[in-house]
Amino acid sequence: MSLPEKNFDVIVIGGGHNGLVAAAYLAKAGRRVLLLEASDRLGGALATEDITPDYRISTGAQMIDMLPRRIEKDLKLAGHGLRYAARYVPTIALNPTNGHLVLSRRRRDIEVLRKKSARDADAYLAFSKRMKSYAALIAPFLDKAPFAPGQSAARSALRRLVWRGALLDAASREALLRDLPGSIGHMLDDAFETPILKGALAFDTLVGTAAGPYDAGTVLRGIYRKAQRLAGAGAWVPQGGLGAFVDALAAAAAGLGVTIEVSAPVARILVQGEAVVGVETAAGETFHAPQVLSSIHPRATLLDLLGANRLDAGLVARLSRIPTRGATAKLNLALSGLPTIQGLAPAEYGARLIVAPSLDDIQEAHAQAKRGTFASNPVMEVTFPSVADPTLAPVGHHVMSIAIQYVPYEAEGGWDDKRDRLIDRAVETLSIYAPDLKQRIVAGELLLPADLERKFGLAGGDWHQGELRPDRLLSFRPTPELAQYGTPVAGLFLCGAGSHPGGGVTGMAGRLAAEAALARRARA
Amino acid sequence: MSDDTDLHHPVDLAALADSARADPALFESRSVEPVFARRVLATPLHMNVAAESRTNLWTDWNGYTVAEVLSDIEDEYRVLRHAAALADISPLFKYRISGREAAAFLARFAAGDISALRVDGTLPVVFCEDRGFVVGDGLLFRLGDDEYRLVTEEPHLAWLLDSAIGFAVQVEDVSSTLAAISLQGPLSARILSAANFAGVETLAPHAARWFDVAAQPVYVSRTALSGDAGYELWVDPEDASHIWSLLLAHGAPFGLAATGFALREIARVEAGRARAGRDYFGAFSAVEPESASTPFELGLAGLVDLDRGHFTGRNALRAAKSAPLRHTFSMLAIDWPEPLSFIGIHAGADMAGVATSTAFSWSLGKNLALAMLKPEFLDKPRKLHIEAEMRHGFEVRRVIVPARLVSGPAPMGPKP
Ligand SMILES: Cc1cc2nc3c(=O)[nH]c(=O)nc-3n(C[C@H](O)[C@H](O)[C@H](O)COP(=O)(O)OP(=O)(O)OC[C@H]3O[C@@H](n4cnc5c(N)ncnc54)[C@H](O)[C@@H]3O)c2cc1C
Repeated sequence: MSLPEKNFDVIVIGGGHNGLVAAAYLAKAGRRVLLLEASDRLGGALATEDITPDYRISTGAQMIDMLPRRIEKDLKLAGHGLRYAARYVPTIALNPTNGHLVLSRRRRDIEVLRKKSARDADAYLAFSKRMKSYAALIAPFLDKAPFAPGQSAARSALRRLVWRGALLDAASREALLRDLPGSIGHMLDDAFETPILKGALAFDTLVGTAAGPYDAGTVLRGIYRKAQRLAGAGAWVPQGGLGAFVDALAAAAAGLGVTIEVSAPVARILVQGEAVVGVETAAGETFHAPQVLSSIHPRATLLDLLGANRLDAGLVARLSRIPTRGATAKLNLALSGLPTIQGLAPAEYGARLIVAPSLDDIQEAHAQAKRGTFASNPVMEVTFPSVADPTLAPVGHHVMSIAIQYVPYEAEGGWDDKRDRLIDRAVETLSIYAPDLKQRIVAGELLLPADLERKFGLAGGDWHQGELRPDRLLSFRPTPELAQYGTPVAGLFLCGAGSHPGGGVTGMAGRLAAEAALARRARA
Repeated sequence: MSDDTDLHHPVDLAALADSARADPALFESRSVEPVFARRVLATPLHMNVAAESRTNLWTDWNGYTVAEVLSDIEDEYRVLRHAAALADISPLFKYRISGREAAAFLARFAAGDISALRVDGTLPVVFCEDRGFVVGDGLLFRLGDDEYRLVTEEPHLAWLLDSAIGFAVQVEDVSSTLAAISLQGPLSARILSAANFAGVETLAPHAARWFDVAAQPVYVSRTALSGDAGYELWVDPEDASHIWSLLLAHGAPFGLAATGFALREIARVEAGRARAGRDYFGAFSAVEPESASTPFELGLAGLVDLDRGHFTGRNALRAAKSAPLRHTFSMLAIDWPEPLSFIGIHAGADMAGVATSTAFSWSLGKNLALAMLKPEFLDKPRKLHIEAEMRHGFEVRRVIVPARLVSGPAPMGPKP
């Protein structure tokens, strides 16, 4: 690569969706922006790729359920080709014996639950309402930069939060105080008796983390996720997979004037005095800009690209301790036809299917992963993207996406001899529901956390560039001194999932970091 | 130290006796640390030191049993000022820092500029954490191009290791594999010469080098944590006993004597040197930020260089430099002809600060105190005083004595 132009207003490192969103907003504000992506394609963990020729699937992320509509509108993504193959994708808890459960508050679905347990049917409505009211308390904090502790805005925000909390009725207030620090497992055990309901709700809270169902703080994680979803408009699946979403985003960014270069890994962030002045690529090319936004892991940005010698030791130590270990593997299958899932209505094959029959199964899988192995009955999230989007596979054929939760980054004794066993275990477990699955498999690809790391440049295979633990949210994400997107080096900002509000297809870290950079520039 | 003429003792002792009452606290024995946190370790020189003890008075220094006083503190003081005092200082913490990026690591670790430190040189350093609060201070030795040794009063391995993240550097705690002997006093050099440390008189102040003594390698530095003229010897634990005996034997004709920790403390107070853990809290031991100190608050501004490359705490210290000090480390002289015990420093009815170390200086005939004072009592000098309680039988008397700020630490002994 050799660009004629070497000088820009802003350089964005990493062309994941957050990097693209940041670049687009900066360009929209009139900045001349260069975006450098290490891999030969944009999108990071959002990609549509071949499993085998003619069978295409979103190899990483599956669905968009937390992207604020405002970003879509601001960047005119529809105008740049974004179409949805499915909207409001429902979630169904698969039952190994009989009667799957659609997780929704629709009368019809509640009546199905009522047949299993009248108590749970009532409790489900109450539970949904409770989680939603908790989420509403947090939601206002998600669409702005976190406050710096001690800032007067932080105090007034806290006051507002307390004030909103005070608006809850006494019972809810008491419940909030009890629930907030606790584990989702205990909360569900208290609320429900139906195992698959508890299993599915817990799975929904925990997917993409390494936390177990009975770990403290997982209720907050559930509330946080719910609050993020309030910003989205339900689970949507782009036509052509998540790669098509990236294409629209890239087209929007390019349309706004962003210069995009792929296969251009940044090797060094260049600093003069105490301010950033540009970057140097692995190929040795240098580009200059007074502002640099990095969408890669905060640790990689600051320790690998910038260097520990430019930072205080305490910050470096805190960065090096950000837990970054994904525990989710992805199994993508090409199928010669749709397998038959007993008891599933034809219209329901497009749903998001959760295979987590009970809290015990989740707990067991988590325990196994801690021991460096995996459960004999893994817990999973399954979709057939080709049901809503037939362009992904030959006519009559299908693709299947399976997220396997609690797969350790490092296996006891290494992964080499265990990959096939994990595939077997996943397929065997799924065969309980779809006995003909095995004979329909044409090809498949297993992506372990370490594969996701290699393939998508996702550190540790962690969806979030640093776990979404309660102590690592909001003003503590990724560390207290970095929570407002800026860094101790003037002009250098963080804009990826490692920053507030965390991972998932939200674009928010990119948008808020762009705002922070623009505000800084305006003042300078 | 300037001589002061307007000092007088305003208190009539006899009159005070009427108001005196017994303070039960005087009869309590206090333990500083909880029992579970204590260690009982012996230095490699323990037997040698024990052989010199006429008092059986021992104390705890970093978990090691060391002599408090070996003979009589006044005698030991006289030895230090007129001959030479030998002491076991093995309980100091020593860290070996080596590797390709050792210099870069230390440049980021210490607040001062270490680039001028040459091989076989030494340099006092202070090191801070991110908020600019002092974690500790110590003496940095450069043993080779890529090898340094940091000697500190308190343990810092965890902070050193945290600071090493991202640097090609190795940090080892060598405290227990290195014995240390201090030899302080005007006759130190002559004693070393007599003990066959050939050419020791050419060793410049703050410099160090290897000597071969009786076929044993000894690293000798012309340094003293107490700030006085003297030497420190760094030896293998198995050689320490022999070197100690050698010095005692060759030093005896010069009046050399072994001395204890109490003397080290007096010399330190006379030199105005703060001891971590005693006069100030390291940033990680301070429970409240208010109890931690910036280098400026400890009078260590001279060990800070804000204009070179980045170091930990620099950004915070830039801000702190123009911010008002919250407390300042100062030295006070209290003219009273015998040792006093006191803690509070008063200004009229106000508390101006607290004495963190006190000592009686026989050279000056005064009490000295190292104190943490509120800065407003420095800006507009107000008359400071201390209140001491003196025990007479079962009575205590309270004396109120003026305390005078000493502008800078002045070496008590002959200049190095
Ligand atoms: C298997 C899987 C399933 C998921 N499912 C969902 C889902 O269904 N819904 C959802 O919302 N989220 C899901 N996620 C999470 C979501 O995909 C991520 O949180 C999100 O993609 C993070 O986006 P980002 O832009 O912050 O970072 P990334 O996507 O990681 O982007 C970082 C980019 O920087 C590039 N890069 C790295 N180093 C350099 C360098 N030195 N120089 C230049 N470029 C560099 C990388 O190649 C990458 O393109 C899933 C994640 C995984 C792994």
